[in-house]
Amino acid sequence: MSIDNKNQDTETGLDPVGENAIETKETEGLSQGKIVFRKFIRHKGAMAGLIVLILVTIFAYTAQGIGPIPGWWIFNHTASGPVVNPGGAPTWTLSNFFSPGEHPFGQDEIGRDNFARVMKGTQISIMVMVIIGVVALIIGTIVGALAGYYRGWVDSVLMRITDGFIILPVIVVGAILGKLVSGTGGAMLGLVLGAILWTGLARLVRGDFLSLREREFVDSARVAGASDFRIMFKHMLPNAMGVIIVNTTLLMSQAIVLEASLSFLGFGIAPPDISLGQLISEYQTSFATRPWLFWWPGFFIIIIALCVNFIGDGLRDAFDPRMKTIPSWRKMKKAERMAKKGDK
Amino acid sequence: MIKFILRRLLSTVLVLLVVTFVLYLLLNVALDFFWDLRSSTSPNIEALYESRIRLLDLETPAIVRYFKWLAGASGCLVGQCDLGIAWKSGQEVTYLLQGAIVNTIKLITASTIVAIILGIAVGMVSAIRQYSGFDYFITFVSFLLYSLPVFWVAVLLKQYGAIEINNFINDPTLTSWWPIIIACIAMGLFWMGALGGGKKRRIITFLAATLVTFGTIYYILASGWLQQPTIGVVGVVLIGVGAAIVMTFLSTGLKNKRVLYASLTIAVIGALLYMPLQYLFYYQEMNWLWMLGLFIVTIGVAIGVGLAFRGPDPWDTARTTVFTAVIIAVTIFADRVLQGWSEYSSSPAINNRPIATIGASAPNVNGDFWITNLDTFTHLLLPSIALVLISFASYTRYTRGSMLEVMGQDYIRTARAKGLNERTVIMRHALRNALLPLASIIPVDIITMIGGAVITETIFGWNGMGKLFIDSMRQSELDPIMAYILITGILAIIANLVADFLYAVLDPRIRVNA
Amino acid sequence: MTAQTTAEATASAKSPILDVTDLGVNFWVSDEWWMAAEGLTYTVNAGEVLAIVGESGSGKSQSSMSLLGLLPSNGRATGSAKLGDTELIGLPQERMQHIRGNDISVIFQEPMTALNPVYTAGFQIVETLRVHMNMGPKEAKERALELMRLVEIPDPEERFHSFPHQLSGGQRQRIMIAQALACQPKLLIADEPTTALDVTVQAEILKLMRELKSKLDAGIILITHDMGVVADMADRIIVMRAGKVVESGTADEIFYNPQHPYTKQLLEAVPHLGTEIEGEAFGADLGDVEVALHDLEEAEADESAGDDLAAGSLADDDAEATPASTGEADHPQIEMDSTETYYHPGSQADFSKPSALQLRDVAIEYPALGRKKAFRAAHHINLSIAPGEVVGLVGESGSGKTTIGRAALGLLPTVEGDMLVGGKSIKGLSNKQLRPLRKEVGIVFQDPGSSLNPRLPVGESIGEPLYLHEGMKGPALNKKVEELLHAVELPTTMRNRYPHELSGGQRQRIGIARALSLRPKLLIADEPTSALDVSVQAKVLDLFESLQALYGFACLFISHDLAVVERIASRIAVMRHGYLVEIGQSSQVVANPVHPYTQRLLSAVPVPDPKEQRKRREARDAVLEATMDA
Repeated sequence: MSIDNKNQDTETGLDPVGENAIETKETEGLSQGKIVFRKFIRHKGAMAGLIVLILVTIFAYTAQGIGPIPGWWIFNHTASGPVVNPGGAPTWTLSNFFSPGEHPFGQDEIGRDNFARVMKGTQISIMVMVIIGVVALIIGTIVGALAGYYRGWVDSVLMRITDGFIILPVIVVGAILGKLVSGTGGAMLGLVLGAILWTGLARLVRGDFLSLREREFVDSARVAGASDFRIMFKHMLPNAMGVIIVNTTLLMSQAIVLEASLSFLGFGIAPPDISLGQLISEYQTSFATRPWLFWWPGFFIIIIALCVNFIGDGLRDAFDPRMKTIPSWRKMKKAERMAKKGDK
Repeated sequence: MIKFILRRLLSTVLVLLVVTFVLYLLLNVALDFFWDLRSSTSPNIEALYESRIRLLDLETPAIVRYFKWLAGASGCLVGQCDLGIAWKSGQEVTYLLQGAIVNTIKLITASTIVAIILGIAVGMVSAIRQYSGFDYFITFVSFLLYSLPVFWVAVLLKQYGAIEINNFINDPTLTSWWPIIIACIAMGLFWMGALGGGKKRRIITFLAATLVTFGTIYYILASGWLQQPTIGVVGVVLIGVGAAIVMTFLSTGLKNKRVLYASLTIAVIGALLYMPLQYLFYYQEMNWLWMLGLFIVTIGVAIGVGLAFRGPDPWDTARTTVFTAVIIAVTIFADRVLQGWSEYSSSPAINNRPIATIGASAPNVNGDFWITNLDTFTHLLLPSIALVLISFASYTRYTRGSMLEVMGQDYIRTARAKGLNERTVIMRHALRNALLPLASIIPVDIITMIGGAVITETIFGWNGMGKLFIDSMRQSELDPIMAYILITGILAIIANLVADFLYAVLDPRIRVNA
Repeated sequence: MTAQTTAEATASAKSPILDVTDLGVNFWVSDEWWMAAEGLTYTVNAGEVLAIVGESGSGKSQSSMSLLGLLPSNGRATGSAKLGDTELIGLPQERMQHIRGNDISVIFQEPMTALNPVYTAGFQIVETLRVHMNMGPKEAKERALELMRLVEIPDPEERFHSFPHQLSGGQRQRIMIAQALACQPKLLIADEPTTALDVTVQAEILKLMRELKSKLDAGIILITHDMGVVADMADRIIVMRAGKVVESGTADEIFYNPQHPYTKQLLEAVPHLGTEIEGEAFGADLGDVEVALHDLEEAEADESAGDDLAAGSLADDDAEATPASTGEADHPQIEMDSTETYYHPGSQADFSKPSALQLRDVAIEYPALGRKKAFRAAHHINLSIAPGEVVGLVGESGSGKTTIGRAALGLLPTVEGDMLVGGKSIKGLSNKQLRPLRKEVGIVFQDPGSSLNPRLPVGESIGEPLYLHEGMKGPALNKKVEELLHAVELPTTMRNRYPHELSGGQRQRIGIARALSLRPKLLIADEPTSALDVSVQAKVLDLFESLQALYGFACLFISHDLAVVERIASRIAVMRHGYLVEIGQSSQVVANPVHPYTQRLLSAVPVPDPKEQRKRREARDAVLEATMDA
């Protein structure tokens, strides 16, 4: 054991200085996953995004319930009722600090509760977004991994397929596929949109695999006798997780806007199903008379997409090994003042 | 190099063929060719179905019909286009396409250029001021833009960008000064963040920007400029001198007096030519050919002046004078276009609501070259803003990332160690390298733009390709959809080729190796 | 020695250019100031080379960058550094820009990344000139060409318009030097100027820098970790460790009378060419070289009777030198470009004997990929490694040495000839068929940071081969892993750590443990120590030797460092441009190299001993001169 200690002394016992040592200090005793987690929770924007997104999701799902389970909100999205305020204007007031009233988001022309509709729409939109994300994640990762690992003709064929998807705007292909499955509900729409949105992810995963492939630990695993499957999924995939997670997240923010756009154009979610985009589509002409019907669904789309974007940004920073916490100019000034005080 | 491009061309064309084939088959399943007959109560419904089947040749298997369509489409290569008909209206697809292609290209070109210039500039500044308030603000704004559904923004733009502004033009009374004060302070903060510097410099920038903005807005409101927008000779001189100073600063730094004087000379020439040009515009009916000619003359004069100032680097001078001259030329052009404002605005078709919400041009506006242009611009305004908003964010983020990457490279440290000033380090060494990868996202972005155009065109009633596509989808007209797919695909291929070419020109490593 | 002292005297008589007192560098990290260097006090005189020596993280580089205000944005410099009357620390940007490149200039380590890829070499020199001097483009171009000639770039007119990627590593570094010298700076900071270069190119650059030093009257700060380079160049030396100066003095004081234990340890750790053999390594003095040169000359003369001028001028030198030589002229005469393998007596590959690895007239290719054509990286290799034998494979970058190692593992295809591992041919085997043979061969990679999966705890990495080949699991596997960790002298608690938490030396030990986990009969060691600091390298080499003795595996030890190979290997094979050019016992190759390339290689290695190096230098310069165009 004495040898061990001596070794440690001479190899790491040097007082850590310079940038390498700084990294070492920051990451001491942590696995890669924990480091990423720690960096992520320090990212204010991402944490705010995550919290808001969770709240919105819980709110939307509990308010309107899931399937047969009823939610806590008294109205549902289809039943019409008497119009309370003139024109169905929102009923919330600031008297007694804040009271939501009967229809806080207002009502439409036939007296349906806008809050219930927006919550239901949010439910469906989030569901479609998640399905798109999962489908794209699976296809994109597998295609990208195979292309990057095997290169050669496998790569050529797979990349030509992604070319085929990239050559046309997503919204065009989405409209055609959306039309194909129109009326079959949100889950189906999510599946087909996922099946066209995976290409970007596949390219990035491929790029990552191509460079990982040149890393020595892959050769090292092969020399150790690992099979292709094991090399790909045990050794390379965990190292490509950063790219995969970050880009799936960013893809999901794209997905929710895409779903909304398609529904708006009439090739996505169609009545009687509702989604946020479909609501805007339905109410776009009433903007001048009942602006609340237009504002609220749009607001929720933006909130969800914005949260997902911030989460993606936080993940990107957290996974990026080159990302060092460089203090801002202002922080440096402060630090220098501190140092000067220390000198005196 | 040529071999490489040809190979890529061939493979993408093959991919496009496969895509059209697959989509043709899918569309045959997705489209309902009898949608208008489904609710029909006509007694001869059977016959109507029969004739529709005959009209669309539905008894032939879809695969065979695809090849028929392909044969017609490949006729375009020899000048005999047959892209089928839009069965609902009975019009030939080739006829429908003529205006649509031009309109879409107009819209996309304008937006792409604006988005690229703004996006790169803002992204670059954001990178240089990494982790500053400005950087965080821009990051937030670009995420917000990423998250905005374009159709939602378009509806808002219609309401606040057109209807309300038109109202304001007709009845310019302010209800409150607060929005203006807030806007001024925001501008002040923006420029303070963008220019940075020490505490004193920040305060000066803030005050200057706030006051200048306030002055401009006050002048616009007080002088009734909105009702009668002009630039005039004073505007041309001011903009010209400003352009000369800014361009000199960016290209060689203000310390280079020779370049500064050369650009100022251009500004003076611009101002002197202002009146003669007005006579020319008055007596000579203008068209785009004339404009091109004048533009070439402008460039020629600018190069001439640049070279005439000699000095050790005549071409550096010439480059700066050319940029200055282009800005002045555009200003004079804009000035002349705006001179038609009152005539345009008061014409019955416009009825004093100059900012258009619908269509690509107003019907029944018959004017000269300048009025038609003004008409186009007022129509381009809103859809372009909507499109710029979409891709501005991606250019900003991309430039920022790329710039940060480059600023960490060793050769930037070398450039600093040589004793270059920051301006040269950034403009000459960092920017050039940071822009290289941008060449590869431009085609991707153009395809996104084409996609965005589908929505904006539909909302703003802009008769372009995107609207054609959506309308045909709604009407289940197969042939125009296929034409749209074909042409968009070809545009995408061209965009990719241009990007490859750009990359090769900009990056010596590729130029030499390939 | 007397010459040395007088030189010292004249040097110190000169006015100091740079006066550094109590210089410190700190970094602001995680809300704390981290010290990177402190308490540096030194002066640099005109025409003198001050070497700052230290291992990675010693703060040697950062402290010098602080002189130019080039610290990263979270860095801060304290203390004082005076260039003449100008205080450099805290100097405002504007004024600093006049000093950078003009009064003080820098040569950076990696010329590939330190030059802007989108501008021509000429432009980058011209730019420096025109920033600081009032010069027109024509005049600047003339001056740039002059500078390019000064740094001995061939065809300067043509190279002026070349982009960095079109130049070789040595040429790029020359451009970097030309750029640094453009404004005749008072002080030149050379930050590891030769570390990224091959040893023969390094020798050329060192030669150039010595010549320039005498021509220009600039002070030079040489930052390096390589004691050989220090011995070659330095007048005075500062030894740094963990941000502090541990010792400073003249070159002779530091090398022959080191006071501080760290300095002693550092000097001991440096492998020294020629210590393992009786007599001296090739190139120890001019005599050796002249014999060799004579041979070379004759070879050339035989080939084509005096067709070029260079040969002609050499002949004159030789005419005087030949009589003095001791004459080992029994060597065959080989040309520089000869691709034939020269076998020293006893090293002829005998394929009938049992061997751990046999290469029979092997050619190896990087397979074609897409549009890229297949690239043949090794031709006609005949090599046999006996069981338990350590063979060193030496060559410069691109010589194909790593290719052979990879092919022996079946990672690259053998396209011609036959490759036998432990008597079984591996030519043309698929990955699956190779799997049982994998047990026989282990590999230690160059970069320990890259060869361990960053997402796996190191214990799992070590245990993977055992799990895959022997199905070992659970406690049995744990026990075995602990044994292996113990064998490489690491605490068993390290099992659960991740690679990024370990130092370079510890990671390389893990790499060795993993390679040895299946007790292979053959180990391929691909530059196992080149990424490590000298003192760590010495320890890892010690460990390697003791393990080799213990386990008795055969080894192909691939390295660019002749001194390391000489220490480890019993035989040395030399590669050049994909051909094996010479092979023999270590002592044979080191003392009596036959192939001109080997001679060039050996003479280029700087030894960490100023006096010896002074002698070797002359020999080196002569060899470089003679083989310049090769």
